[in-house]
Amino acid sequence: MPMSRRNFVRSVVASGITLSFTRLAGAAPLDFDTRETMPGRGSWNPAIHAAGRIDGVAKVTGAKLYASDFRAGDMPGWPSKTAHALMLRAADATHVFRGLDLSALGGALAPTALVTAADVARIGVRVPAFYEGDLFCPVDTTPLYLGQPLALLVFADFDLFDQARMALRDAAFAKFGEETAPVETPGYGAFRFTRVGGPTPEAPDVVSPVKDGWVSPGKFETAPNGKRPIWARLPIPTGQDYARVAAIGEQIRADLATHDPAVLVLDREFRTQSVDPMFLEPESALAWYDAGRETLELVLGVQSPYEAADSVAFMLGAADQAVRPKRIAMHFASCGGGFGGRDHTPFPLYAALAAMFVPDRPVRLANTRFDQFQSGVKRHAFAMRTQIGVERATGKIVAFAADHALDGGGLANFSANVATVGANAALGIYYAPKADITTYAFHSRGVTAGSMRGYGTVQTMTALETLVDEICATLPLDPIAFRRRNALATGGKTLAGNAYIVSVRTPEILDKLEAHPIWRDRADARAGAPAGVLVGTGVACAAKDYGSGADCSLGSVAIDARGMISIACDSVEMGNGIGTAAANRVAAHLGRIADEVATARIDAFDPLGLVTSSDPYRISQEMQDAAQQNPRWVPAISSASTASIGAHVGTHAAAEAARIVFRYGLWPAALDLWRVPKSDPLAGAWRQALWKDGELVMPGLAPLALADLAARAHAQNGVTAAMTHGFNRWAWSSAAFRVDDEEAWSADIDALAVRRGSGDFVRLDRSAVAFPPTDYNRIGTSYASLCGALVRVEVERATGAIRIARAYSVLECGRALAPEIVIGQAQGGFAMGVGYALLESLPPYEGGPGDGTWNLGRYLVARASDLPLHALEVEVLAPVEPDERPKGMAEVVMIPVVPALLNAIFDATGCRFRSLPVTQAMLADAIRTGAPR
Amino acid sequence: MKSITVTVNGVAHGPSAVRDDLSMNDFLREYLGVTGVKFGCGVGQCLSCAIIVDNADGASETSPTCIVPAASFDGKAIRTVEGHAKGGELSALQRAFINHFAFQCGYCTAGFLNEAQVLLERLARTPIARADLERTIAEALDGHLCRCTGYVKYHEAVRDVVLADSALYLRKGSP
Amino acid sequence: MTSRLAVSSLVAAAALPTVVLTAFAATLAAPAPLRSVDSFSSISDPAERSAAYFVELGKVLTSPRCMNCHPAGDRPRQGDTARLHQPPVERGPDGLGLPALRCPVCHQAANFEPARVPGNPAWRLAPREMGWEGRTLGEICAQIRDPARNGGRSLAALVEHVGGDHLVGWAWAPGSGREPAPGTQDQARALISAWVETGAECPRP
Repeated sequence: MPMSRRNFVRSVVASGITLSFTRLAGAAPLDFDTRETMPGRGSWNPAIHAAGRIDGVAKVTGAKLYASDFRAGDMPGWPSKTAHALMLRAADATHVFRGLDLSALGGALAPTALVTAADVARIGVRVPAFYEGDLFCPVDTTPLYLGQPLALLVFADFDLFDQARMALRDAAFAKFGEETAPVETPGYGAFRFTRVGGPTPEAPDVVSPVKDGWVSPGKFETAPNGKRPIWARLPIPTGQDYARVAAIGEQIRADLATHDPAVLVLDREFRTQSVDPMFLEPESALAWYDAGRETLELVLGVQSPYEAADSVAFMLGAADQAVRPKRIAMHFASCGGGFGGRDHTPFPLYAALAAMFVPDRPVRLANTRFDQFQSGVKRHAFAMRTQIGVERATGKIVAFAADHALDGGGLANFSANVATVGANAALGIYYAPKADITTYAFHSRGVTAGSMRGYGTVQTMTALETLVDEICATLPLDPIAFRRRNALATGGKTLAGNAYIVSVRTPEILDKLEAHPIWRDRADARAGAPAGVLVGTGVACAAKDYGSGADCSLGSVAIDARGMISIACDSVEMGNGIGTAAANRVAAHLGRIADEVATARIDAFDPLGLVTSSDPYRISQEMQDAAQQNPRWVPAISSASTASIGAHVGTHAAAEAARIVFRYGLWPAALDLWRVPKSDPLAGAWRQALWKDGELVMPGLAPLALADLAARAHAQNGVTAAMTHGFNRWAWSSAAFRVDDEEAWSADIDALAVRRGSGDFVRLDRSAVAFPPTDYNRIGTSYASLCGALVRVEVERATGAIRIARAYSVLECGRALAPEIVIGQAQGGFAMGVGYALLESLPPYEGGPGDGTWNLGRYLVARASDLPLHALEVEVLAPVEPDERPKGMAEVVMIPVVPALLNAIFDATGCRFRSLPVTQAMLADAIRTGAPR
Repeated sequence: MKSITVTVNGVAHGPSAVRDDLSMNDFLREYLGVTGVKFGCGVGQCLSCAIIVDNADGASETSPTCIVPAASFDGKAIRTVEGHAKGGELSALQRAFINHFAFQCGYCTAGFLNEAQVLLERLARTPIARADLERTIAEALDGHLCRCTGYVKYHEAVRDVVLADSALYLRKGSP
Repeated sequence: MTSRLAVSSLVAAAALPTVVLTAFAATLAAPAPLRSVDSFSSISDPAERSAAYFVELGKVLTSPRCMNCHPAGDRPRQGDTARLHQPPVERGPDGLGLPALRCPVCHQAANFEPARVPGNPAWRLAPREMGWEGRTLGEICAQIRDPARNGGRSLAALVEHVGGDHLVGWAWAPGSGREPAPGTQDQARALISAWVETGAECPRP
């Protein structure tokens, strides 16, 4: 089955709506795109000399930057007044919804428009497949999940809206009838990953997902208690693939159960909780349907801009003529945090609907924090069972088995993908010759779970790394020694049966951890604990994939005649520093930090004329081979900023464009200035040129200033701008292009347009295109970064109060494009890990966030006082070579923090917690009672 | 309804008629368009909405805006993130936040900036001992939530502004 | 051993039949009643009756409305569940907080209903010596009677404090989302007056 991570049924838009991303007419001085281009007109650019982020000035001066900052009056060409939409959501998913009661509004506060399930049905709205499920709960049905929208109310102005939301806040605006069972739907996905290696490491696998494909059980239990998959090999197998793999998997489990005295087997359960991404800017949008132009305009802040545009277009694509826009213009803002929670969110659909029901009036839809808790996508709660067998004599893992169940909440969203990514990470940094993992994501009436930093892997690796700690204590064996013996070796096979294609530097990280004083002095620290305080030290490691298996990069670089550099890319700035990273990566090729970087600009790449079809995860090799004959076809055009791909993918296309501008623009200009004829061998030596202090340096020749090169490149009509597209399916696409009459340019891109002088972009046809084979979709990942963490905790015996006294985080991420931002991400990942391990928790159903009463205060995230601000050390390993490609690190830095904390708590208290979070009350109780052990 | 006049970054606004239950946050964002003031939680927990209130006695304090009525600001002078730079010159604190890469998404930045600015002004009036600096910063900033950064660089930035001008902010000869 | 997944408990645990319409709506109900002074007349022993008055008054004193700001430590609590106050605030030298996050900045002259933030002109933490958290009613009684631990109040002043103080009165009008203290302030005044008149006897610790 050609199913891969983050796979979803991609709806090809057959809507007839032009998804137009061209700039709005009217170049007002502060149009949206100008505001969103960093560092901002006339602003100092801190990224030059690495003195700060390129968006630094905008962010310390309160510039309008985030979607929630914009009102109609801020958008040139829009009507000046803003209407405001109020979403009413169901706080009940076990009673029949009998309709609204808006009597609390009285006559004075009656909404201008009311949008319900009946209204969207009437106008022919379609639900994009990814969001399958009613957009609004229809009357006389039980809500599909807690927090399901019931209605949108639009008010003419803020004053009415503000009064109305107060009037409705405590009112019983939803009428509910008889009690029912929660709505049941089929599960979101069930997979089995089984690998048995051959007799030697080099030998072919007996079975593996790469060799045999990904398999799913064909049978599911029937009512009354859910529709759980039946993992056992049934007497009448529904699919030979599954039956064969399942037989091997069951044998691994049978072997683990034989009580072989030479093998230590631990069999443990572990549970993780639901948490909220808690990005600080609640979701917000501004929308305007201009009926005269039949154009819907949207201002959004999402991690997945292309998807948002596609989904809105699909939703309205078959609607009644009167409410079907001919054109949709999207404006994507910087995000006030994301952490996955803004990737593929249904929020834009509702903003678009609000606008369609009040034509000609710009309308704002903005979540309060209560709304955000009630409706924003959550991290999946996992229930896991893990079995691990370790040969006592060697301390080596002989077999591994695990079963994962994920609560996906109300809508499918990314549940199936989180399940598969979590399963593929279940072995962490280790190698096991035999492994069998089942995973199942199920529907519930909880708030929808989806993408969030860690994406299933923080759950499965926390279960793993705490279990490893227990193994080490039981054998006993030093935890670092155990990890050395069992770490996946370079070239070794992951669970899926493929090897990483990047360096994953486990031995170096383990050396660093072992040598660190926190680890070295742990016994002394324990012995020296003050009276009433329990001191412990914990260690953990994580290898986290980056990339989603179908990642796109769109980037353009232009240089003007004065040498000023502009970059545009489709990646979204959500705090991760993509703009700064792109500027730094391009600077390596052009000798200067960009003067302008525009992010989330999926509109800027029309000259490439890209087309796509099908689904990059599901396409067959034959289809791909046929489709790629069209020189404008790519497997996918633009993807979400997610999966830690900012540095690796998000900057890729701009970097490739910069190389082309250099090779075909600046280098010929340099030759001209140096008076080196084309016939001179030196003319082909462009790879040897270096940038030094803004000048191009070549041995034996006069250094050249960038401004002079740019002026000459423009004067001689050289390449002064390029835009490219890249696609990554665990390997880059590649192609050759004829930019000039000399040899073809080969690069890891599949589309290219160039601008000569001050002309227009011209698309160049590719040759020798190679897209990664479609069977790479069987790979779990080929890219991974490693992070290790050490923490020392002090637990007050009487109260259970825990203090993190010291911590150390060590990671490798190839070349760090913006080193200070990498360190900042590691510090932030540490804080989020602390919150996840010790503080944050959301009850799944009634009493949980779906009831609309949750907010901060009740939900605790880490504050500065929860963290070792002045005793957190972050170390980033130098790249293995200066031009090692950047590797994603935004997720991996959070993961080991969580198990390291639990391991430290065990070391301090002797209590082995097997669920999250571990709160102060639980610690106090555990210390008093001695449980759990 | 109440008629209020509020001075924002030195510019008087009003008189404006506001409902008693209009929050200061909505007044600033929806009516004055001062969107550098953020909305994070609406319940006074994250302080991304905090502004500076300049009291008549010359001392200033921060205040969240989401949980207090606009009407209570009648006659008051406030400063927001938009008001820190003077004549296009960033303040020392703004520069330090940038140079330290203190923020990532930037949504909490206005609140941290206002809180730290009030702290600096307090220290300028009442210098403290060097030994108390980190604790004083930690106490001042602990109400502010940041989900991206882990806080380290914010605190380092504020500390370095103080240390760079220690004659102003620290007691002379203090340990 | 089979690979059967242990999800059944996960699903079963979910099947709580509770219906929560809105959590706040539930707190709009009338406050719990207090017994009247007259209803204690059957207790003939004045000392015993006095202690009984205090036990009844204790329903007020130990309600979250009072206890949250009479904490044992330096951090107040908040809400009906008496969780530690967030954002983290401390009593400070004057009971009004540290230099940042002073009480009256958020807690203004009156409750602000749109954000459900309580307010009163005198909003502050009770002095440390008046901390009640974690104490028995008998201990609280002894504390209240002791001028060294009640702010130097005479018994008559205590009657005035409980029965007439504006900040104390807030406990019966705490705004939506918070359970009011039982009874009314007048009833509380009657109870404490009766307690004082009968010798201000304390229940056994």
